[in-house]
Formats: sequence, C-alpha cells, structure tokens
Amino acid sequence: MNEKEQKSQFALLLPVEPGLECLRSRWILEGRPQEVRNLVFWDTFEWGVWFGGYLLSSCNNLLQLTDRARWPGSVLCQEPAPEIPRFWQEFASGPMRTALRDLLGLRALAPVAEGIFRHQQYDLRNEDGKVVCRLKLRSVTALEPERLLLQDCLLLPLLGYEAEAADVTACLTEAGAHVHTYHPAELLLQSSGNPPRRYTLRPDFGLKAATPAREAISTIVRSMLDLVHANLPGILQDRDTEFLHDYRICLRKIRSLLSLVKGVYPVTDIQQIRATLGDLARQTNRLRDLDVYLLAREEYLDLLPSPFRPALNSMFDDFALEREAEIRTVTARLASPAFQQLLHDVSVYFAEGTQHPPSAAAALPVEPLVFARIYRRYRTIRKIASGIDASTPDEGIHQLRIECKKLRYLMEFFNELIPGDRSATLQKQLRRLQGRLGEFNDASVQQASLLAYREQRQPGAEISLGLGGLVSVLYQQQQQSRIFIKQSLDEFCSGPTAAIFKRTFKLSASHITTDLYRQTNQ
Amino acid sequence: MNIISSYSIKGGVGKTALAVNLAYVLRESGRRTLLIDLDPQGAAAFYFRMGSAKKLRMRDSDALADGLRSNIRESDFPGLDIIPSNLAYRNFDIVLDSMSKSRKRLRKVLDEFKPDYDVILLDCPPNITLLSENVFRASDLIVVPVIPTVLSQRTLDQLTLFFQNEELPVEILRPFFSMVQKRNRMHRDIMDELPLSNPHFLKTVIPFSADVEKMGLRRMPLLAYSSNCEAAMAYRALCNEILCQTAARP
Repeated sequence: MNEKEQKSQFALLLPVEPGLECLRSRWILEGRPQEVRNLVFWDTFEWGVWFGGYLLSSCNNLLQLTDRARWPGSVLCQEPAPEIPRFWQEFASGPMRTALRDLLGLRALAPVAEGIFRHQQYDLRNEDGKVVCRLKLRSVTALEPERLLLQDCLLLPLLGYEAEAADVTACLTEAGAHVHTYHPAELLLQSSGNPPRRYTLRPDFGLKAATPAREAISTIVRSMLDLVHANLPGILQDRDTEFLHDYRICLRKIRSLLSLVKGVYPVTDIQQIRATLGDLARQTNRLRDLDVYLLAREEYLDLLPSPFRPALNSMFDDFALEREAEIRTVTARLASPAFQQLLHDVSVYFAEGTQHPPSAAAALPVEPLVFARIYRRYRTIRKIASGIDASTPDEGIHQLRIECKKLRYLMEFFNELIPGDRSATLQKQLRRLQGRLGEFNDASVQQASLLAYREQRQPGAEISLGLGGLVSVLYQQQQQSRIFIKQSLDEFCSGPTAAIFKRTFKLSASHITTDLYRQTNQ
Repeated sequence: MNIISSYSIKGGVGKTALAVNLAYVLRESGRRTLLIDLDPQGAAAFYFRMGSAKKLRMRDSDALADGLRSNIRESDFPGLDIIPSNLAYRNFDIVLDSMSKSRKRLRKVLDEFKPDYDVILLDCPPNITLLSENVFRASDLIVVPVIPTVLSQRTLDQLTLFFQNEELPVEILRPFFSMVQKRNRMHRDIMDELPLSNPHFLKTVIPFSADVEKMGLRRMPLLAYSSNCEAAMAYRALCNEILCQTAARP
C-alpha cells in the first residue's frame, strides 16, 4: 500500500445492524471470502514491545513483529514459532532475535491479549459493473470473556471515483456510522484487564515544595509498596529475573528513605519497619546472587581461555540446580500468610489517613528538609572521597558506594523538586560514579563468592583451576576500576559540581532555622 | 519509465485489444501501469467499464498534463489506472499544432507521470497525424498489429517509409500478426514473406477468435475472464515477448 492510498483511506465505526445493508439500494455489493484470524499479542511486564513502537503477535504458529502505527501492514519480521520462546536469546539468529534483543532486554515475553480479527472486503459496483469503491468490513472480538469490541468499515476510495466514495460515506453516515480513529489492535490491548502502562521505579509522586514531610514520605512509600505488590506475581511465576530485582530495589529504597528522613515518623516504629523490610529482602539474597551469576554465565566464560570453559560450565550447572531449589523456597515464603501479613501491616502503617504520634519533622515542608539532607550526604561523600587512594581497602570503597546509593535514592525520590537542568547534570555524574563503584563491588563480591564456592563444594582440580583463573581476571578488573573510580570521584567532588550542589541544596534550605535542623537532622 | 504504444494507420486490426490485454499483463507483473486512451472512440475505457473523460483544457502542455492527471481513474485491477478518451481528443492535432515544438509535446506531458508509473501504454487512433507523430517521438516501443492482408501490408510499408523520411528510429516499430486465420492461404503466404523484410517482427501470432470479440460484452480484458483460451495464451505470450524487449532497452 503506498502513501497516497493510505492517506485516502479512513474508517467508519459501524452499528452492528444494519451494517452495510443500506448500500445495496444504490450499488451492487460483492463480498470476498471473510478472513478470520485468531491473534495472540505478546509483550513483557514493562511493555517493551509496545513502548518500542511495535506489536508482536502470533497466529497459526507464525510470529510477526509489526510497526504499531501501521499494523497490520508493515511487518518488520516474522518467523514460524510453534512455541513462543520467553527470552530473546531463545530465538534463532535473525532479524527477530536482533529486534527483540533491544525491545525485551532481560524481560520475558508473555501473552497479553487474545482476540479474533475478522476482515471481509467488498467491491461496490455501479450500473456498468465498474468497481467505484472498496470497503473492508472489520471486527475485533476480545476473548475471555468473548465480546465484540469494534465493528468498522475501512473505506478504500478508488482514484477518479472520489465522488462515489463521498456518496458511500454519506449513505453509511445516514445509517448511523461515524468516522473513528481507533486502532483495532490497540483497542484490544487497551480493553484487556492489563492495558499497556509505563513501568518505572522512579515515578512522579506529585510532591510540592511545601508538602508536609510526613505526607510526602507516606506518598512515596505507598508508591513503592505498589511496585512491590506489582512485582510479586512475576516472582511467584518465576517469569524473569527482573521481578525479584525490582522487588528488592523497592524494599531497599523504602528502607533507605525511612533512614534518611529521620524525625518524620516515631523512631521506634521506623526501626521496626526497616527491620521487617530488611528481613524480607535478605530472604531473597541468595536467589538474586544466583540470578546474577547465571545471567553473566556467557560473560564469565568469555573471560577464560576455551580449555577452562567446560569445567566452569559445570559450576554454572550447579548454580542452576541450586536456583531451582532456591526459587521454590522463596516463592513458598512469598506466598505464605505470614509474609502477606507483614506486607499488609507495613501498607496499613503508611495508608492514607492512618494517624501516628507527632514527631519533630512531620509537619515541616519537605523541600528544605530533604535538600538539607541531600547536601549533608554530598558533603559526607566528599569527605570519604578525600581519603580514598590506591591503598584504600575494599571496605572503604564499599562504604563510599553505600553513601552514593543513599544520595542517589534521595535525589531520585525528590527529583521533581530539583530544578530540571541541575538534576540532570548531577544525576548523570552520580550515575557514572556509581557505575564505577558498582563494577568494583561486583568484582569484589564475585571473587569472594567464587572462593566460597570452592571452599564449600571442594570441586575437582579442573574446576578449581578455572575458578582460580576467573578470580584472577576479576581481581585485575577490580584493580582497573580503582583508576576509573578515582577519575569519576574527582569529577563528582570538583569545584563546579560542589558549587551546583551548594547552590541547589544548601542555599534553598537556609531559611529554615538552624536549630530546627539540628534537632531533626541528628 | 517505458512508454509503449499500440498503433496502426489502419483501423479494426486489434490495437485496442492489444493495449487492454497488454495493460492487464503489465499490472499482473507488478508494474504500475497507466493506459491512456487517445482514440476518441473510447473503446479501451469501454472495456474497463468506464465512461469518457472530462473535457480537457489543452491550451499548453502544463494544462494538458493537469487535465490528463485529473482524469486518471483506477481500474478494477489494482495497479492499473486508465485515462479514458473524450471526443474532444479529435482536436488534439489542432491544439498540438498551435504549440511550439509541436512534434515533441506529448513526451514532455508524459514525463510528468514518471514518478507514479513504471509503464505508460498509449492506445492510438488509426490515422497518421500530428498526434501520431507525437506518439512516435514519445514512445520507446510501438507495437503494430498487422492482419496478414495486402492492405495491412501496404499500411505497414507506409509507416516504415514515414519513419525513414522523418528520420525516426524504425527499430522501435514492432509489428506482429493479428486476427490470423490459419486456414486462409493468403494469410499464410503473407506471414511467410513479410517478416523477411521486417527484422523486428514479433514472433507471436494472435489468432482470430470469437473469445476476443466477447470483450465487448464482458467489458474486461480477455485475460481477466478467459485466461486459458488459445487467444488469451497468445496475448500472454505476445505481452511477454514485448516485455522482454522493453526490459532489454535502456
């Protein structure tokens, strides 16, 4: 279909009765055989395909990736798929695998909607028998429960017969039809119980500078708890590793927030909630470690010369087996009434309208309170950074990483209060620094973990040799990342960056009395 | 873009049947095709169940191009558009005559359609006029139906002579035998002799057939309603032979 043809086409929403019957008095209607297609649409929890601008659908064992705006035309790639693979890596090499790699990332595919699409083309002929207009009668029926979502008619005018197309439109309009812009596939997805929506761990909370601190914190915690709940089904079904990953991040962020804004809630309550959330996160530590190893399997193997790889492969097989057991343990815990009760108690604590005893900072406007804490956190990092050199032990760098993470969380939570350009600049630098620190930490943790594996399992000589090789490569990487950390730290602690931090966070907080802050920031 | 004309000085030799079926085969082969009915009788458009074109303003080549464009109509066969004829086309000669470079105007007008079509087919009126000369100068290939009779042979000779006198490229002429009755001895004799003096004669022969005549009743190309009869197969073979020759041309 060329551009000219596409532009001249338009769709009319048709009443189910009388459909096209009204046209028979003026034209000869010639219907072609109806095409019926049962389509299943596939996407990830994050709707990577949808937000990438595509639709992925299967019909009769054929999987098609289509440009969303031009669906059902413009098929980008297709391949036979008697069973739809879950991850992009499971597709055979080719355009589908390449396209899905970018759209899916670590996420698994799952069916998101199913519908029956019926198409029937009609030719409208005049008294000479000449086709003067074409119509495509279309309907979309959603399944489970079965319901007609849309019946429309796509007008395909013929060049030189525009007047006839206008007559057909007038005739249909008189019978109750009207122009619409619904996209049949999008309508099906939007009408499903789970319509496409943006998923982010950094939502906007609708905070204002003057929002009372307790109200602001409870709003943020509620949002994060919603995300915890949203990720639980994916963990229970073990759809992909990112559900657990995000679940843990949310728990960690709530704990971090509660520790960073002391004085907003009664201290004993917060200690108890933080301990509960800490326990919940810890229960999944091993599973996450195993996920990280298994995701990096190929990467690890590539670090070693090929003769060592088969031996190391058996270590990953051990990890895979251990993961099977671990996921069972974790899902049993998450499905247990005790777990549900714990999460429920936390939710109730932060629910709207729940009353708690007053505390020093509860009613303070959130912006100056938080900005002061952001600035203090930055100064702490600068202080630690000034003592970092080539001889700093790993623990020192680990401590720096923790502090950076706290700062990052604070800046993310209250991002909407920070002027956009400064927020972007600072967060970019912080992200870069954290990336370096993360690489360092990963290398350090992985070395310890590999050595622990050797200690516990006492593997044979060949695996031990492979492990030794891997540990030494990781050690080299770790030493290398020290240099990069120094560079990123210098940038992050430099005069210009410090000036932005000061201008943004220190000065705006200065109108709050020093005494009050001394009291609440302890 | 290729411009192919179906032309003969003599009428009733199968020009329009060729143009209509060739157009059908061209769109079938995936080529975006425009058939322009230049014959005021309007038979080509009739075969596609169309009426005549709106009257054209023909004061200059721009107005003529606009007028032709506004008369393009989609046929029932996707990929094939038609510009029907109009009785006013009988005045083409007078209009062309009033223009500067009056023998090359048509080519300039048709160049306007280059972006939209792969092939333009011209169904020409049976005479030799200024319009005909424009067609000769615009065409990449001119297919000439020849009934194997003495009169047809004579008109082919006249055409060849005209090309030579006007220094037109004779090699773009592609005669072929049309409406052939194999039992007719004179047909057979002429078919043996004529190609000897015309090296560009096409090999395919179109037989005389009642199936072709039914095009007037069915109002569609023969190939659209009877693709397996002898004449239909001959048309398809002829079209493929023409296609091979146009593909070979630069």
